[in-house]
Amino acid sequence: MSTLLQVEGLTRVYGGLRAVGDLSFSVGQNEILGLIGPNGAGKTTVVNLVSGVVKPSAGRVAFKNEDVTGMAPHLLARRGLVRTFQATVVYGDRTVRENAMRGAYLTLYPGFVATLFDTPAAKRKREAAEALVSELLDWLELTSVADTIAGSMPYGYQKTLGIVIALAARPSLILLDEPVAGLSAHETDQVRDTIKRVRERGITVVVIDHNMRFISGLCDRVVVIAHGQELAQGAPRDVLRDPKVIEAYLGKSYAAARAE
Amino acid sequence: MTDTTSETVRVGELGPTGAFERKAQDAGNHRVRNLLILAFVAFAALWPLVHENTFLLTMGTLVALSVIGATSLHLIIRTGHISFAHAGFMGVGAYVCVLLVMKLQLPFAVSLAGGAAAAAALALLIGPVVLRLTGKYFVLVTFLLGEIIRMVFVEWTSMTGGSNGIFGIPAPYPALAEPHAFYYFALAAALLCVGFCARILTSEVGRAMDSVRESERVAQCSGIPALQLKVTIFVIACALAGVHGALLAHFLHYVDPSSFGMVDSLNLVVMNVIGGMNHLIGPIIGSVFLTILPELLRGYVELQRVIFGIILIVVMAALPGGILELTARVRRLLASRRS
Repeated sequence: MSTLLQVEGLTRVYGGLRAVGDLSFSVGQNEILGLIGPNGAGKTTVVNLVSGVVKPSAGRVAFKNEDVTGMAPHLLARRGLVRTFQATVVYGDRTVRENAMRGAYLTLYPGFVATLFDTPAAKRKREAAEALVSELLDWLELTSVADTIAGSMPYGYQKTLGIVIALAARPSLILLDEPVAGLSAHETDQVRDTIKRVRERGITVVVIDHNMRFISGLCDRVVVIAHGQELAQGAPRDVLRDPKVIEAYLGKSYAAARAE
Repeated sequence: MTDTTSETVRVGELGPTGAFERKAQDAGNHRVRNLLILAFVAFAALWPLVHENTFLLTMGTLVALSVIGATSLHLIIRTGHISFAHAGFMGVGAYVCVLLVMKLQLPFAVSLAGGAAAAAALALLIGPVVLRLTGKYFVLVTFLLGEIIRMVFVEWTSMTGGSNGIFGIPAPYPALAEPHAFYYFALAAALLCVGFCARILTSEVGRAMDSVRESERVAQCSGIPALQLKVTIFVIACALAGVHGALLAHFLHYVDPSSFGMVDSLNLVVMNVIGGMNHLIGPIIGSVFLTILPELLRGYVELQRVIFGIILIVVMAALPGGILELTARVRRLLASRRS
């Protein structure tokens, strides 16, 4: 399995606070990697660092063997690394289809002059983008709501639509920032199945969450972080039995009680 | 969200009815819209023929010219930034064009292009810095920028004539010295400008602009180069503002710094707000409204600004989407009556 994303010694300091310190991990081709940790562990900071939203204080991020440390999000998207967001995930006032079309910008956009004159190349690109969007909506069973305003839909749909927007950029790796935060157990299971299907498209997935059950049912491998540092790394079953991990999540007394 | 709604969510099972009430606006009104545009253009074209009044003709020309300024500002607004320096860029275009004509005796067309290019160049210099700011910070910085530009006009007396300005600016071409001819010239320029803006907004560039305005973070992650896009639009809009300023100077035959201050920038913003910021027709309605309103209130000079302010507050409080929202509300009302 070849490495797609390589993170080495990633560090981010905010004033005196070390949000992420010397974190290293790698993601293999077509793997589902989980990044977990209790609240405030620095998970979202890691996503922001890798996706170029925040520049790291130190360390290196390599994607497809290219150094992409601190590269702007739109340039990363062009290289095939796309992320979703925890909160604002969709364009609330637009239809589901329009949301997906906007995600397909890289397939759609023919250049400034070409789009003003609607050249044959621009038409071809638009058709390609429309086909891509229809296929994606069909694939995730959103076709029946394609003309619905995204913001009026239940939260679960909006989360799925967030994934559609990311997929429309034709990524080779997607970073999902808390894709099940605020969802019911039933919706969580559906998002889990959706992510598994995303992998079947040949896309590598990095998913960030603190929901242990969700992560262990989904990921091939997990990295546990606490206080911005790596705590453990490995298969979900082994890692979740690790006393250090249990302690980080549930406190010392519980870990001690369990060990007896 | 309540538990009942989250339990009913099953991707693909729930139809388009039920929980979803707000449906996408139908595109069926296109024919009505096109007819209205045609009627508006026909009215504008026939305007000089329905009366013999030079004052009304001048008003028409001023409306046509301010449409250029307001719609170009609309482009910037559609990227999510409200610029308070637009009149400053108008001034740059005006002064550069006038000086090229009067000092270097260049043909008007070349000078006009030069004025637009100067405004665009300044925008290109400043845009990459200020367009990183958002919301009120952008407003604040552009407000100051506009004042700085105006102060340059006031202080650089050897070039600009200072507060006295420059007098005796000739008509662009001898044929355009006649008011009717200039009216049609201004109208053609305004239509070209509106057409160009409409084309941008309906193209993929417009889609990208909407994405950036509604959620810059998501847009960037879809590969949209947000800053680059915003700078491009800012440069184009400021070039058009320069055209507006240059045409205005040649129409009025003089130019002075007081036409390019804070109040003028504010006027352009208010044209967009009052007409409606979400559609290109908004600034056009706003231009008509705001050019004519001060004339109607001329009898109450002392009260003019007060009345003006009250009208503004009422419109913004009652119709946040501007005058355009009124038509949408009437349409909705009619639809509910019918059903």
